[in-house]
Amino acid sequence: MVSQVNLPPPSSFAPGVMGLMWLVPALPLAGAAINLFFGRRTGRRSGVIATLAVGLSFVVALVLLFGLLGHSSNDRTFVQHLWSWVPVGALQVGIDLRVDPLSIVMMLVVTGVGALIHLYSIGYMEGDPREARFFGELNLFVAFMLLLVMADNFLLLYLGWEGVGLCSYLLIGHYFERPSAAAAAKKAFIVTRVGDAAMLVGIALIFVTFGSLNFGQTIGATNPAGKSLPVFTAIALLLLAGAVGKSAQIPLQVWLADAMEGPTPVSALIHAATMVTAGVYLVVRTHVFFEVSGTALTVVLVIGVLTALYGATSALGQDDIKRVLAYSTMSQIGYMFFAAGLKAYSIAIFLLVVHAFYKALLFMGAGSIMHALHDETDLKKMGGLRKAMPITFATFVVGWLCIAGIPPLSGFFAKDEILAVADHTGRVFAWSVALLAAFFSALYLSRIVFLAFFGPLRHDTDPHESPKVMTVPMVVLAVLAVFGGVLGLTELNGVLPKFLEPVTGPVPEATGGLSTPVLIAISIVVALVGIGVGWLIWGSGRIDWVALRSRFRRTHATLEHGWWFDSVYGAVLVAPGKAGAAFAAYVVDRRWVDGFGNLVAKGFGVSSNLLRHLGNGMVRRYALFFLVGVVGVLWYLAARA
Amino acid sequence: MKTPISYFLILSAVLFAIGTAGVLVRKSALVIFMSVELQLNAVNLSLIAFGRMHGDLQGQVLAFFSMVVAAAEVVVGLAIIVAMYHRRRSANVDDANLLKW
Repeated sequence: MVSQVNLPPPSSFAPGVMGLMWLVPALPLAGAAINLFFGRRTGRRSGVIATLAVGLSFVVALVLLFGLLGHSSNDRTFVQHLWSWVPVGALQVGIDLRVDPLSIVMMLVVTGVGALIHLYSIGYMEGDPREARFFGELNLFVAFMLLLVMADNFLLLYLGWEGVGLCSYLLIGHYFERPSAAAAAKKAFIVTRVGDAAMLVGIALIFVTFGSLNFGQTIGATNPAGKSLPVFTAIALLLLAGAVGKSAQIPLQVWLADAMEGPTPVSALIHAATMVTAGVYLVVRTHVFFEVSGTALTVVLVIGVLTALYGATSALGQDDIKRVLAYSTMSQIGYMFFAAGLKAYSIAIFLLVVHAFYKALLFMGAGSIMHALHDETDLKKMGGLRKAMPITFATFVVGWLCIAGIPPLSGFFAKDEILAVADHTGRVFAWSVALLAAFFSALYLSRIVFLAFFGPLRHDTDPHESPKVMTVPMVVLAVLAVFGGVLGLTELNGVLPKFLEPVTGPVPEATGGLSTPVLIAISIVVALVGIGVGWLIWGSGRIDWVALRSRFRRTHATLEHGWWFDSVYGAVLVAPGKAGAAFAAYVVDRRWVDGFGNLVAKGFGVSSNLLRHLGNGMVRRYALFFLVGVVGVLWYLAARA
Repeated sequence: MKTPISYFLILSAVLFAIGTAGVLVRKSALVIFMSVELQLNAVNLSLIAFGRMHGDLQGQVLAFFSMVVAAAEVVVGLAIIVAMYHRRRSANVDDANLLKW
């Protein structure tokens, strides 16, 4: 059953204010150009330039939003054709930007949260020797991300997709003097490339199937009657592979935790709020393929639930505050995939939006702590920061309660609506697994809060609150995280679901299950139990958590190493890959290819060594050769004639 | 009765063969040089013979060119032989074999 998709024929030109849409990606691109080409001259001002570029882009996006709201809800798709890009026979691809309810939401998140993170970075990156480069790359990232969400065809989307991957690589490797950072950057790039390669095949398959790459002629014109079902399953699964890689879902999740080697604002912007959610955007954007296939949608659901649980449990074993948050991000994006798998696309986007608020906030908090403790990320060495850093503490608590799922904060509504839809559509097992993940979510974040902010300080510095340029964005995000839930209240009639409905279709109707108040009560109880257990272990002081950890050493090691995924991939994929590379390099290349070349050279050497003795300096001998040659040629000519 | 062309050509071939043998077997640069002249004149003979056969002057003209070039070549060649004799006190071509291998 395909849910109602009203993709109206897009207006051929973008009238009025909608014509400004090209400015949205162009402004950050200009900022990137300034900072990357004239970095030596911009110096300390680079941060201001970059923040202004993204901030102005946000203002333009707001203008576009109001322009969009001025049209009726079924007439909110605008496409701007900038120029023709790939005009090759039947393949006509243009630089076409699209503004519709889904992309405007993504644009606002990317530019809004992005601008706040840029502002925060001015304080965080102070004194960094490569500041201009950092801000240039950050702006370039925003430009590519906007291209990704505004693209009106798959090829342009792919351009943005690869662009953000490139910027992610560059920014993770910002401290490239550290071998671990360089390795993490490579890992992130290569692992996501696995998914991207599959995605490119999927895009090619879309072109073969539909004869076009435009959204309007592919997603908008899906007619399952004329095409075979396996094709849709193949397209959906190939696109999903790309989404899974980019969004760090099982089985391509291994790069995200290592990506925390990058500067903290990068983790906040790219690896929490925006880029890693691109996979969710892709699935929601192309949900028609998934629904026609059916199988693919189930795969999305399973991957989402598994990653939600995987991330939440692995987060418990991490001592590095940023790695906890990285696994938390995986888990939360798992919830988004789960929601998409339940056909509750607008709720997936709702969670995406509020998650961008509170996860960026949590990363900013972590960055603020690192700022105070000389880049210390080890939770074991923190503690007691509550009094020294009141603003960081207060905002962190907001993020904590959001992820734990305490009403009326935004995280509660988003997660609870997903759980409610799961239960109401009869996915009781998936619902219970997600609920278990919710318990662990409350637990791991309580662990951070109690270890970092309560108890005695276990660090030999005098911590201080971060400057205003860092705390103001945190406060703004905290306010958004507290009140963001209003956007999606309730799942059927909220502002955001209603706004997105022309693109995503309505949230599936309840067909049974427990009543909503009961579900809410269960969610709250689970969250409170999680927080309570967290307090008991790490906050109350009644349990020696160090002893507890050594008692459950093996469990802890399993969680710490993310269920040994890295080790398994190392043994199954990396080791054979290295062996194959060594075989190719030292046997195939050095012995066979080079050997053949050397053999030929040796043959020439031996034969010319024999022949050179003909040149013995005897003039008369040369004359004889000459005669023999002339006679030979004449003979040949005579014989031919 | 005209002398048949073949007589001239056979004589020319014999002279050319003698010249070639002289180039190949003699060691003295001067004699080799004379043998080359013999080869040239053998060719001149056949040129004139062919000219006579065709009844025009082209063969004789070409023979004159050949003689002029040969004269110029003699100047250069003898100068080389004299210079070589100055250095080595020998006109044996087998002694000038440094440029090898």
